[in-house]
Amino acid sequence: MNRWLRVALIAGAITAVGCFVWSSWPPNSHYAPVEITFAVVGLSFMVAGIAAWQRWPASRLGLLFTIVGYLYLVPYILVNLANPVAWTIGNVTEGIYGAALAHLGLAWPTGRLRSRFECGVIVANYAQNIAFNTAGELFWNPASSGCNASCPPNLLLVRSSPSISNAIGTAQGYVGLVMTGIILTLIVRHWKSARGWSRRAMIPLLWIGAAVGAENILTGNLFHFSALVTYTLLPLVLLAGPALFVISTVRARTAGGALGTAIVDLEPGASPGRLRDALARALGDSTLQLAFPQPGGSGYLDTSGQAVDADRPDNGRAVVPIAGSDGAVLVYDEGLELEPHLVKLTAAAAGMALEHGRLQAEVQAQLEQVRASRARIVEAGDAERRRLERDLHDGAQQRLVTLSLALGMARDRAAGADPELEALIESAGKEAREALTELRELARGIHPAVLTETGLAGAIQALVERSPVATTITAVPDGRFPAPIEATAYFVVSEALANVAKHARADGAQVTIRKRPGRLVVEVSDDGAGGARPEGGSGLRGLADRVASVGGVLRVDSPPGGGTRLEADLPCP
Amino acid sequence: MQAYPAILIVDDHGGFRAFARSMLEAAGFTVAEAATGAEAAEAARAVRPGLVLLDIGLPDLDGFEVAERLAASACEPAPVVVLTSTREARDYGGRIAASPAAGFLPKDQLSGAALRRFLAPEP
Repeated sequence: MNRWLRVALIAGAITAVGCFVWSSWPPNSHYAPVEITFAVVGLSFMVAGIAAWQRWPASRLGLLFTIVGYLYLVPYILVNLANPVAWTIGNVTEGIYGAALAHLGLAWPTGRLRSRFECGVIVANYAQNIAFNTAGELFWNPASSGCNASCPPNLLLVRSSPSISNAIGTAQGYVGLVMTGIILTLIVRHWKSARGWSRRAMIPLLWIGAAVGAENILTGNLFHFSALVTYTLLPLVLLAGPALFVISTVRARTAGGALGTAIVDLEPGASPGRLRDALARALGDSTLQLAFPQPGGSGYLDTSGQAVDADRPDNGRAVVPIAGSDGAVLVYDEGLELEPHLVKLTAAAAGMALEHGRLQAEVQAQLEQVRASRARIVEAGDAERRRLERDLHDGAQQRLVTLSLALGMARDRAAGADPELEALIESAGKEAREALTELRELARGIHPAVLTETGLAGAIQALVERSPVATTITAVPDGRFPAPIEATAYFVVSEALANVAKHARADGAQVTIRKRPGRLVVEVSDDGAGGARPEGGSGLRGLADRVASVGGVLRVDSPPGGGTRLEADLPCP
Repeated sequence: MQAYPAILIVDDHGGFRAFARSMLEAAGFTVAEAATGAEAAEAARAVRPGLVLLDIGLPDLDGFEVAERLAASACEPAPVVVLTSTREARDYGGRIAASPAAGFLPKDQLSGAALRRFLAPEP
């Protein structure tokens, strides 16, 4: 809103209320409460005008609110001036604010009337108001109504005739009633056809509709109410419309903050449906749609699976693209065009949330890839070690065995004939056997054949038998498990027993392997010194990595002086 | 009565078979050879060996399976099956004890005397 316009509006409002107070000075104790209410109601419309101009610069609502405010106060100021011209003009224009109020109601919220018919209704309403007021003035003599000294003469008076004046008043009441009926019907139709944001934006309008009706009934000449009802009830009803509008404007200013809160409150990885719900709530538009382009360019689908034409939206709908979201759009109630800033903010928030979700999915996918590739690398390593062990077994070991046998035969043949040769061959045979033993150990270190041959139970048994610390097996399941799980379980027990022998200063150790639904739990505990740290150089780090490579978890419980308990929880079908 | 019954050597490693044959023949045994599990079953029917020296790592079936089949076939009298490998017995866990074979002999400890102990267990 233009700064000068705002200054002018504020100055105008202050001047109008000031003039009103000045014109009715000195206050008459009898009329003072009524005059104060007048000032407040007039001012409330002017304040609502400023609020509307500020909130919806593209709407004429601000202008209409301001006009209603002036039309409400000015006739009374003129009447109070005790000048014949002002007095006559004031009387002719008195009550015309009701027509402006009806105009405001029908033009809600854009400030523009929707059809030629509605335009006609509003013009007719202004016209009948002024026409009947003017006609009544021609036959109304203030002196005959008991206003002798305080009232200036009526300049329009043609003939003093209370009966004609009253008849005109009654006719005006009937015509006003019909016009009000038409206008209220149209307002109700607007309300019923509005959806989403527009419907919310119409809440103050309902009160303005009530004010239009109340104004007509209470000030029309058909019904006669006590002054208390007319001067207390009507201002209250009139006040409600602008007050509600100002309140809703203040609340709308917090909608931007509500958007931020909605996005922050959205849990990570929330579905687009939940994002839409959060945005719709924050925006106050229950009809908001979040739509994504379908692969192959076959239009858009919103989060509830409904087809959306983003290029030609339905009547009363508008579309805004969401930047950086691969073509997603927001489809919203057209009434929100009045709040372009809020729409921009919503699109930006949606873009951020979608981008966040996309990045999260991407990171998740990358993590999944890394996990899978880590498992593949470990598996490939295992396979390579199995192959190496097998090659040693089939190749070098086999040859050494044959060599050893040949040397045995050679020694037998040399026996007796050449003791020196026999001793030489005997020592060569011994070397060959030792080489074979060393090669076997090496091969076992590369990959335990017993694991491939017999599975976990046999392999753990072999490990325990070789362990220098007295070790018992509490439980080991029979049967075979996936090779990477068997290898990892074996590696855990082997590494743990090696640690027990090297660091724990333990008297005994226990190995327990249990099959649980979907898991294999490997546990190795000892009664040694404890104090093992997973981040220390005791091979626990490598063990944890190995366990993690198959998607398992390694837990180490090793209080100083309290022994060490190591548990690997492996996923296992 | 034949003092030294026929021995069937089942091993896919030709060099080993050749050495084993010459060693066992020198020790007085009659020797037949097979390179695979399938050949072993066939040779067992044809030769009716008194003892089968059976390598565990064969290209088609493994030695445990061949031992099962030999025990299940209607050869009368059933041959004494001795499993062998370049690996040690503990590399096979409890599988050796669970098989119908009479025992296990590491390849590098093969000799006529060792086999004779399987044929005539000391009381």
